[in-house]
Amino acid sequence: MSTLHVLSHSPFGDDRLTSCLRLLGSADAVLLAGDAVYALQPDTVPFSALQARPVNLFVLVEDAQARAIEVPDWAEAIDYPAFVELSVRHAKVNSWL
Amino acid sequence: MAKSLLIISRQSPWSGPGAREALDIVLAGGAFDLPIGLLFLDDGVLQLAAGQNAKALQQKDLSANLQALPMFGVEELFYCAESAHARGLGQLSLDEAQPLATDQITALIDRYDQVITL
Repeated sequence: MSTLHVLSHSPFGDDRLTSCLRLLGSADAVLLAGDAVYALQPDTVPFSALQARPVNLFVLVEDAQARAIEVPDWAEAIDYPAFVELSVRHAKVNSWL
Repeated sequence: MAKSLLIISRQSPWSGPGAREALDIVLAGGAFDLPIGLLFLDDGVLQLAAGQNAKALQQKDLSANLQALPMFGVEELFYCAESAHARGLGQLSLDEAQPLATDQITALIDRYDQVITL
């Protein structure tokens, strides 16, 4: 049983990402969408937190491109059809609203 | 058998309608006999602080809604022990809520069919 955690809020001044990483199961995956892609801004605390541990990390490519965020090679940039595919591949989706 | 649902509530009690709305969802689910659980996480644990005074803000507090949870058949009540500790919470207003460590929360999320974090 695995969970896809979907984050869409900026990690700066908010602890959704921190809590999500704390509770993450080993088979779980994280998708960054919307302002959550700012977590991939280099030289920041959220960036280091993601880089420091093995996470199945996905990023909605258009949200990253719109914000001038480069997707590092340890994350996978995906489009909406791939997002759908990712959702059905996991037993459930936990949206951090 | 209906799918089980875990609501994770992480809104503080006085910052807006979020905390109350999450509780309303859980109470509605309980009223319809859905297998539903509630986990208080991050600032959500502040909803459980004892001795809150709603009158000071001329509002209604959440204590009646919280106490109604077991009456509505919602017995799966949990809070994150680490969140409570970090916020200096001692006595809590909901005796039925069980403290969970981080790895227990990971297992809890795994156990439910559906999870939503509000």
